[in-house]
Amino acid sequence: MLITKLKDKEMIASLLKGKVFVINCFGCKEVHFPEEEAKALQKEWADEGIVTGVLTTDYICNPENLPLRLERHKAEIEAADAVLVFSCGVGVQTVSEYLAPKRVCACCDTYPLPGGQGVTPLEYDCDQCGECWLNLTGGICPITACSKSLVNGQCGGAKNGMCEVDPEMECGWERIYRRLAQTGRLDVFKTPVHIHNFATDLELKQE
Amino acid sequence: MRITECFDRGEFVVTAEVGPPKGINIDGIVAEAKEFLSGITAVNVTDCQSSVMRIGSLATCKALKDAGLTPIYQLTCRDRNRIALQSDLLSAAMFGIENVLALTGDHTKLGDHPQAKPVFDLDSVSLLHTMSLLEQGVDLGGNQLVGEPPKFAKGAVVSPCSDSVDVQLAKMERKVMAGAEYFQTQAVYEPEKFIEFMETAKQFGKPVQLGIVLLKNAGMAKFMNRNVAGIHVPDEMIAELAGDKEKAKSGETGVKIAAEIIKACKPYCQGVHIMALGWESKVPEILKLAGI
Amino acid sequence: MENYTKYKLKGSEELRPFLEGADKIFVVACNKCFKEFESVEEPDLSEFLALTDEMGKTVTGSVNVDFLCNKTLTEKNWQSLIPEGTENVFVISCGLGVQTVADFDGLPTYAAANSLNYRGHHGMALTKKACDACAQCYLNVTGGICPVVDCQKSLLNGQCGGAKNGKCEVDPEKDCAWEKIYQRLEAQGRLEEFLAQPVQTRDYSKINHKVIADFVKASRESRLDGYYGGVHPSENKELAENIPLVRFPEPDVVVIPLSQHAGAPANPVVEAGDYVKVGQKIGVSAGFISANIHASVSGTVEAVEPRLHPTQGREVLSVVIRSDGKDIVDESVKPVENPDNLTPDEITAIINESGIVGMGGAGFPTYVKLKPGKPIDAVLLNGCECEPYLTADHRVLLEYADDVIFGLKVVMKAVEAPKGIIVIEDNKPDAIELLTEKTKDIENVEVLSVKTKYPQGAEKMLIKRVMGRQVPSGKLPADVGACVCNISTVKAISDAIQKGMPLTERVVSVTGEHMKKPGNYIVKIGTSVNELIRYCGGLTQEDAVIKMGGPMMGFVLPDTEVPVLKSTNGIIAIEPDPKQEVACIKCGRCVDVCPMELKPLYFQKFANEGKWQEMLDYSVRDCIECRCCEYICSSKIPLVAKIKTGKAEVMKLLKR
Repeated sequence: MLITKLKDKEMIASLLKGKVFVINCFGCKEVHFPEEEAKALQKEWADEGIVTGVLTTDYICNPENLPLRLERHKAEIEAADAVLVFSCGVGVQTVSEYLAPKRVCACCDTYPLPGGQGVTPLEYDCDQCGECWLNLTGGICPITACSKSLVNGQCGGAKNGMCEVDPEMECGWERIYRRLAQTGRLDVFKTPVHIHNFATDLELKQE
Repeated sequence: MRITECFDRGEFVVTAEVGPPKGINIDGIVAEAKEFLSGITAVNVTDCQSSVMRIGSLATCKALKDAGLTPIYQLTCRDRNRIALQSDLLSAAMFGIENVLALTGDHTKLGDHPQAKPVFDLDSVSLLHTMSLLEQGVDLGGNQLVGEPPKFAKGAVVSPCSDSVDVQLAKMERKVMAGAEYFQTQAVYEPEKFIEFMETAKQFGKPVQLGIVLLKNAGMAKFMNRNVAGIHVPDEMIAELAGDKEKAKSGETGVKIAAEIIKACKPYCQGVHIMALGWESKVPEILKLAGI
Repeated sequence: MENYTKYKLKGSEELRPFLEGADKIFVVACNKCFKEFESVEEPDLSEFLALTDEMGKTVTGSVNVDFLCNKTLTEKNWQSLIPEGTENVFVISCGLGVQTVADFDGLPTYAAANSLNYRGHHGMALTKKACDACAQCYLNVTGGICPVVDCQKSLLNGQCGGAKNGKCEVDPEKDCAWEKIYQRLEAQGRLEEFLAQPVQTRDYSKINHKVIADFVKASRESRLDGYYGGVHPSENKELAENIPLVRFPEPDVVVIPLSQHAGAPANPVVEAGDYVKVGQKIGVSAGFISANIHASVSGTVEAVEPRLHPTQGREVLSVVIRSDGKDIVDESVKPVENPDNLTPDEITAIINESGIVGMGGAGFPTYVKLKPGKPIDAVLLNGCECEPYLTADHRVLLEYADDVIFGLKVVMKAVEAPKGIIVIEDNKPDAIELLTEKTKDIENVEVLSVKTKYPQGAEKMLIKRVMGRQVPSGKLPADVGACVCNISTVKAISDAIQKGMPLTERVVSVTGEHMKKPGNYIVKIGTSVNELIRYCGGLTQEDAVIKMGGPMMGFVLPDTEVPVLKSTNGIIAIEPDPKQEVACIKCGRCVDVCPMELKPLYFQKFANEGKWQEMLDYSVRDCIECRCCEYICSSKIPLVAKIKTGKAEVMKLLKR
């Protein structure tokens, strides 16, 4: 689940070379999709007469459904010099792989979204770090609640309890400290020094 | 010389700090340090403070050492992963720079390269732990070092006047556990708060140097109150600075305030660390007024 | 299908230290997500319980929960799950679930699992990880291959030189991304372009807490706005919303089914050869839940015979009338004298006699609704028209505002409600403005603008949104003091009283991107859909999908030679969406959007396995068939069809 935002207008304009076929993916629209902006932009192109066709569908990241959908627009795609995709990075790559060597362009930037289930993002985050720290932090994630993802305590940069990076964000470690104090678990500050393990893709190792 | 030796001898240890420039000519700060800071125990060299890119702390330390001063190498976790940090520590030891102050570091977004990738592979606690390991001849990956292991005087920082002192103390305890041998504090303007802090902090049995940031004017004080973590300048001091603008401008007021704070806190700490932020020339005067 | 389960039970050596100091443990296990939906219960819980057993710990209870991180649903049942005497909670889930639980109450909460570390995001088809969500998509300069995910070092300006025989230095099974990029660009003849572009550097400040937090806040607000769940399909109302109502030309023939409502079909009271006039009763209500049927044209009855029904998909008894084009009104049609003096019983009698049913789609006989037998606090006039494309109610609001308000007051009188609220979605600002103006001097009627969200027009959602009241499972709006009426329905009530005209015509939107000339028409009941489409210039594309109603809850019309019904609010011609059902991946989206707070993914599983009792246990009968789950399903599972099958089987089960 991801957030998509339109790229800069000039950036997108630089992609326009000849005729274009447009694909909109609404699969994660309930999470976020710049629907109105994309529509307006595509109308401009249509008025200029450079659009050979538009496919508005969902879940273009699904390789079983994508061909079914593209089939109907074969001629329009062939007539285009480039395929402009409004979707997250996964969608662009699925289209690009399927249509290779056709020139396939991304019109959006993709942002990560906290929470992995459903379509409702969560206020708090789990970064899937692979070495859950929550037992030591009273159930507040130091990886996501701390701007620097520190695991041994606060950096000292907080002012009035707010993070030095974003004054609207509470210092994660002050929150952790309070939670631990509440539950009588301040002894975790006496546990040995913690060090991240950045060896990634743990799931690969397990196989 | 490791400044821990001075603490061990029971000396009241005085340090100051210099900030390297954005450029390769450091003659100015070396000359200034020689002139005004030769009389004190050691000089901190900041590591791209406020996440603003400058010449390196290690190189500047080396220049100060060559000029006959004792440098304290400030090392942050902001820009280097554990490989670079350990490598730089070994480099420092090779130059005979053994005083290292371990810090987590400001976030990259606060500086002049906000687009930079913030590293924070280690933090101040794990960096102290890493230094302890290196001293035992082992690196963080569990590999043996070749030959003589390095020896450091492992320093750390703490904010006694923070808005959340209990959280500060918890982290201080972790730093001690990880190997911190002495502490320099964030600027103190309220001696009573510092004394109260020391009541608790003394249980760790580690020397603490009182932190002093020289106040240049009322505007600076207000700015720090708004923006700098762990610092609070009381209203009376701001009024004093604002009252006689001439005296403030010449540094007289700031120097007087600094000396008073030092005098009030001296019985409760093991040293003082003066951050003059460019006014290094005032350091001798502060010390004289404070009776050190 | 890849398994992207987010957690793995911690090893016993990792768990022991935390278990050592803890007793009276309650264990919560998340049923996992983003993996094949194999079994209802995952094995991790029993593995953990074996350990607590071995350590001699007291376990106060344990439970498997679906999508533990779905805070709204988890919180709903939380207190009832936790047994008395629990001192510690151990959670088997990814970090999201643990934090959800840790935030609930003061009990010490422990993570009994580690999240699994994935670099990069996969699509909703659980294929490979392809996107790192870096906020600065480089695919345009790399020929559509992601350098951030595919290159182990996420290099942006070319390969590192570490590849050997085209394989990555970190993982010899992986192709060097930059060699792939080079080949792709070469094939596209874009190497020059690549070489000429400026040096690329990452901007790590683009993604920060604030940017994400703002997204989250906005998204959560819209998702939980008014009621749980719901979706925001593209509205596409601009096609017809500004086209004024036009009376559709007199049809030559009308086919009027005797079943256009919930309940028993009406009994015909005319036969072939009879001459009928507009408003004349041709079918009589056949029971408590049934409705009268009236002629919509004057002319001769050609037949009373089974004809294809648009929404039932089979032939039902219908009255076929050939119009004489004279539009002669029946003598029985005359305005009610002294409408202000009508008693509630007189009102419901007129409404019953006039054959008025819910015109929003359900076709429930209106007079039944207006005899709630319980005190009603407010009548909610449903002007949401939350279905995309449809603009019929919108036009009625604009062009018959006075009739609508009159009808509302009649309904309020019938159910003796002290208050009337006209609820209009904020995508119809002109209607909101007009109705607000027209009701400003009416003390007990107000206009409420609500944020657009489908299925807001569903009774239960509307009541939740406007009155904050939850209609309990199996209960009716009247049970919580509400009565909900549709715009066109109250317009029909107004006609029945002010003109004496029974329900013989209605407003229909004929629209959709493949309708040549969209419009809004006043159409006689029984008019052929085919004629309607032909009048609107036909279709722009032969294979367009024709639906009666909106795209969400409307019925596909494989044959358009079917009549307009009392409940036909629209005929739409839209783009077909070819799709292939694939396996459920437990993404949880259907659970997130179900406004009835059900778990649709289980319905498809149980339907496939013929587990009807389980279907009943998971409250399939509460489903309102709004199709949100099917709309959002990334696996393209025809959930509503499976749910309908399930409901039918559950009915059989209950009868047994």
